[in-house]
Amino acid sequence: MAYEEPITDYDYIVENCTCAFCGCNCDDLVYLVKGGNVKGELEDNVVVSGYVDGGHVVGVRHACRLGASKVMEDMDQRLLVPMIRDAEGNLVETDWDTALDKAAELIAGSVRPVFYGWSETSIETMKFGLELGELVGAVLDNQATICHGPSLQAVQNAGYPVMTLGECKNRADMIVYTGNNAMNSHPRHLARYSTFPRGFFRKRGRFDRTVVTMDPRYTDTAKMSDIWVGFEQNGDYEFYNAMRAVLRGKKLQKDVISGIPKEDIEELVESMKQAQFGALFFGLGLTHTLSKQRNIDIAINLIQDLNKFSKWNLIPMRGHFNVNGFNIFMAYEQGFPYGVDFARGYPRYMNGETNTIDLLTREEPDVFMVIAADPGAHFPSGANRHLANIPVIQIDIHWGPSTELADIVLPGSFIAVEAGGTSYRMDGVPIYMKKAISKPETCRDDEWIVNELLKRVQKIKGIAPREASK
Amino acid sequence: MKKITLNQKKTSTIGLEFDELIPDNVYTWEKADFEKYQVPIGNSKFPFTDYFDVEVEGSAEAPNEVIITINGDLRRVKYIGTKMTAGEIIANSSVDLHCGSEMAGGSITVNGDAESYAGREMTGGTLTIKGSTREFCGSSYIGDWRGMTGGQIIIDGSAGKQLGECLTGGEIHVKGNCDILAGIHMTKGLIQIDGDVTRWPGGQMQGGNILIKGKLSRLLEGFVDAEVVTNPEIAGKTFTGRYIKYTGDIARNGKGNLYLDADKNRNFLGNY
Amino acid sequence: MVEYILKNGIVFDPTNNIKGEKKDVAFSNGKIVEDVSSDAKVIDVTDKLVMAAGVDPHSHIAGPKLVVGRLYRPEDSRKGIVPAKGVTRSETGFSVPSCPATGYRYSRMGYGTVVEAAMPPLEAKHTHEEIMTIPNIDVPALPLFGNNWFVLEYARDGKVDELAAFVAKWLKLVKGYGIKIVNPCGGEAWGWGMNVHGVDDPAPYWDVTAREVVRTLAKVNEKLGLPHSIHLHPNDLGHPGNDLTTLESMKMVSDIKKSSGVRNQNLHMTHIQYHSYSGTNWRDFKSGAEGVAKYINSNDHVTCDVGQITLDETTTMTADGPMEFDLHQLNGLKWANKDIELETASGIVPFIYSGRNSVHSVQWAIGLELFLGIKNPWQVMLTTDSPNAGPFIRYPRVISWLMSNKRRMEMIENREVHKAVEKKSSLATLDREYGFDEIATISRAGPAKAYGFTDRGHLGVGANADIAVYDLEPNNIDPSVEHEQIEKAFGNALYTIKNGQTLVKDGEVVAIKQSQNIWTNVQGLEAEEAAVMKEVMPVFNKYYTIKFENYKVHDHFVSNPIEVKVQAGKASK
Repeated sequence: MAYEEPITDYDYIVENCTCAFCGCNCDDLVYLVKGGNVKGELEDNVVVSGYVDGGHVVGVRHACRLGASKVMEDMDQRLLVPMIRDAEGNLVETDWDTALDKAAELIAGSVRPVFYGWSETSIETMKFGLELGELVGAVLDNQATICHGPSLQAVQNAGYPVMTLGECKNRADMIVYTGNNAMNSHPRHLARYSTFPRGFFRKRGRFDRTVVTMDPRYTDTAKMSDIWVGFEQNGDYEFYNAMRAVLRGKKLQKDVISGIPKEDIEELVESMKQAQFGALFFGLGLTHTLSKQRNIDIAINLIQDLNKFSKWNLIPMRGHFNVNGFNIFMAYEQGFPYGVDFARGYPRYMNGETNTIDLLTREEPDVFMVIAADPGAHFPSGANRHLANIPVIQIDIHWGPSTELADIVLPGSFIAVEAGGTSYRMDGVPIYMKKAISKPETCRDDEWIVNELLKRVQKIKGIAPREASK
Repeated sequence: MKKITLNQKKTSTIGLEFDELIPDNVYTWEKADFEKYQVPIGNSKFPFTDYFDVEVEGSAEAPNEVIITINGDLRRVKYIGTKMTAGEIIANSSVDLHCGSEMAGGSITVNGDAESYAGREMTGGTLTIKGSTREFCGSSYIGDWRGMTGGQIIIDGSAGKQLGECLTGGEIHVKGNCDILAGIHMTKGLIQIDGDVTRWPGGQMQGGNILIKGKLSRLLEGFVDAEVVTNPEIAGKTFTGRYIKYTGDIARNGKGNLYLDADKNRNFLGNY
Repeated sequence: MVEYILKNGIVFDPTNNIKGEKKDVAFSNGKIVEDVSSDAKVIDVTDKLVMAAGVDPHSHIAGPKLVVGRLYRPEDSRKGIVPAKGVTRSETGFSVPSCPATGYRYSRMGYGTVVEAAMPPLEAKHTHEEIMTIPNIDVPALPLFGNNWFVLEYARDGKVDELAAFVAKWLKLVKGYGIKIVNPCGGEAWGWGMNVHGVDDPAPYWDVTAREVVRTLAKVNEKLGLPHSIHLHPNDLGHPGNDLTTLESMKMVSDIKKSSGVRNQNLHMTHIQYHSYSGTNWRDFKSGAEGVAKYINSNDHVTCDVGQITLDETTTMTADGPMEFDLHQLNGLKWANKDIELETASGIVPFIYSGRNSVHSVQWAIGLELFLGIKNPWQVMLTTDSPNAGPFIRYPRVISWLMSNKRRMEMIENREVHKAVEKKSSLATLDREYGFDEIATISRAGPAKAYGFTDRGHLGVGANADIAVYDLEPNNIDPSVEHEQIEKAFGNALYTIKNGQTLVKDGEVVAIKQSQNIWTNVQGLEAEEAAVMKEVMPVFNKYYTIKFENYKVHDHFVSNPIEVKVQAGKASK
């Protein structure tokens, strides 16, 4: 990594901004803004309320490289105007009314609409999306379906012993990362929440904590851990089962379990029992190996067992900054976290039946709306094949593989930079992400776009807007 | 006796939902009633007779006097026999998700394969699958710790992952092979597998019995106290042969039993 | 401006001493008025039961705990599914209903105000988001203070003034209504997997006891003159022998003078059923209701709500984290826990209360014993600590039990409850039956008074037109015999009127109204608050994981709130 000169060429500072990248939702970012006029109050060069109209973020303090590179503008990839794919298959620029009417028409006429994404937009946008979904009988699903969905299924089977990240920061003397490489995926997780910060009861920070990484790979996180447990791939379930058995006082029969010598397992379990406060963070490495949700299931049970001896909690390392938000939002609005099917006029939640990937590989959907997500980049080819065959409406800020699949493109705005909105951190702490600068003139807020679609579909269906539904 | 025959006219890529077409509802129906019926497909309902020709013969006083035969390609027909309490359904094809889920009585015969969730949360009756089935056969609804509580599922082919998850009663008999984690979290009931099993049957089981006549690839550490038993009697049935009997999953203080054919699984005997 | 008049109902309005008079209730512009013109719209309710809309003093309906319950119990969500119909959206859930379902169901029972009893300040935004999503009822929320690090420290050092400023500031920040205390010091001990026992067991490290925390917060509460008293979930919930802790918890604040012109109490004891257990273990466990009721009968500084067991499969959820873990050890069902940094703990476990189980049956009896043993109905309130002891939709059933000794004896004799009820409680000897007046007191007038509400809970002129009409003819029914009809009628209001708008008719929700949040704005301590924040901020910045700017509840999360302004140190009226 080459040395970069600090940024000095900026006009305004906006403090306490929230990072719209991973589930850490770091809310201590400082945006350095160049140009524009402040709509709000200014003290020295710090914007204390309001935002900078027409400004550009030229630098970000405190953020990790992932966050900073997302926040800093990359206008060359930015979607700026609505587009509709023409008969030749080219995306052609159009005006908002035409694009929205066309999209509304598709949604209103659809028999199996799927609205997928939501994890990178605000709760306020989801409100309108859900109302639209309930109105037309759509399936609403988010990225959990391809990432922490199995974790949620396990939570539903086994329980959910969680904490806020500050509990870990202030109390934890043992940190376990399993099936994830936080150093690369959530770069500030260790620095801001778990390992390095000086907590109330852990005044020396890193020196007061033991860090364990359980991962088949020797990752960057493993490299800075005190203990690395490199169990064999797909051996997770057996490994955790053995730990639970040891915790119950059983002598292990096999000498090596899932590639780990039994003495090591016994020693590890003993040190976990001795911890004053333990925190386990698990990632997709655990959710997506052979026994899927059952790995999490047994890990949760292990945490429950450990609480008989000491204090342990866990947190799933959620990927997108509002992937947890969608699950929480759907649960309080309609009782189920993701993959909710409103086709029959009431919510149905059935993994394997009402999830996006299953629906797409079964070739059921006839209209697909993707908002703040990139199925083109993330979905299996079978699912994307079907997307290529049906009308796809995209609401997003950047050009990506999904744009290539889209038939209607509606350019949104960047939550936490150009638009405010609520998000939920991986531990469920809600944060209002504030607006720092204005959006490009030709774009619209996600909230506005989805509300506009709702109004237009209501008009097509001849339905009055719902009273006090917001 | 009333015989209702449904012959498929056209298929739909979006699944048809057959939850309303169970003997409990249709025993009074005549052909005209089917012609009026709108079947749920996606977020809409469509005339049933666009998709099926209906023949009705005889009459019935109660659901148990009904036999429904469904012919055609039913790979996009979901919820066949869901919540039925009596009568008979014969599907002459492979069927889609949730066949026989929550059924309480009567019988369903699938002359083909069944998709996932067959017999989920059954409380009674018999579900016979002549082909194979996929995941979560005889399981619980997600989140519930009480799965299938009664009845019988017979699978002539093989079964997918997490067969009989949270089994709380009843019997599942797989004549073919079985994928990972059969009987996970089960508390009561019997799972019999005649073929081979991949990994980890009985994970976190608390009670009940699993009997495997084929070869097992990997067993969890939570299964202990192995002993060899001959011709064991389980749930009122005698199984001939020599079996290694384990107790588990002690990782969860379980008191279930896992029987492994001793001759096919000699490698496991080596540990003791 | 449309005027309305409810004609010829049988009105029970304990606040205004109206006990079953046949009279009209007039309202216009959302308020009860003396009289209306002849143009008024007439709603004929001849001989039907008319009360103010219900006020629930303690329920868990919105917030992070609830959402964990919904998220991890899809099997519960699936139970209460009702398709969308007319103005209503689809409903889900039995013990942890979705937000729309919560509003509809309370509305159908004739309720207009429900207190959300536990709001962790850090996640207050979440609670308020849910309150905004719940239609048809007004919702004040009580922030949790009993295990907050700042509170522990101020209480240990006896700094009442500083703590008063802190509480005043925090109520503003999180838009809270009053002070909730849950297992004081026990929640903090749970941070290390421990608990405290009794009121004199200090929290690890902080070296402060529940006695000190509760007393200091009670002083603070009265110093600020908050509309509600401290709202205490005392230590040792659900432990045999906790009746002694409960008695001590009440006694220890008896000397603190209340400073409110509306309420009588300086302490509200919540779900007191869970705290009235005598014995030393689950084998010799028996009812301690008599002693607890006796104290309340001879001391008017306490009010309580019961937390009546309804014998259902439900979801227990409380900020009492260690208690939930014990419960999980007991029943082995899936355990959720949520510790909140610097503030509180919480836990959730599904629970199946069954009449076949001796302990559950005795718990059921203890609740009823308290209802029947506490003489003054203004001191006892109807709750099931929803969803802990049972979902709130069971209130009508609890009412039917209270009004019918015959039904209670039937349950005991038919073995709908375990025979232990006769041995371990005195329920079978209590033949008191509640009248409609007492029902109106425990379900609306009493809670409203205890919360310092003057605009609701009664039908006097000037009050909000929050009215419930039930399909019962009080002069023409024997509740003792016709208990089934009582249950049905209280569950399906003939009319529920909120701020003058008819929301329910014939048990069906016919209109949707945006809910309002009620919060307390303490005035006059601005300088003290600023001084305290100078002490708080360095700690806040160091140990919270969120920036102060992003901590507070922005106006964005409270649409159309009802702000209760209180002058610090002056009794509210």
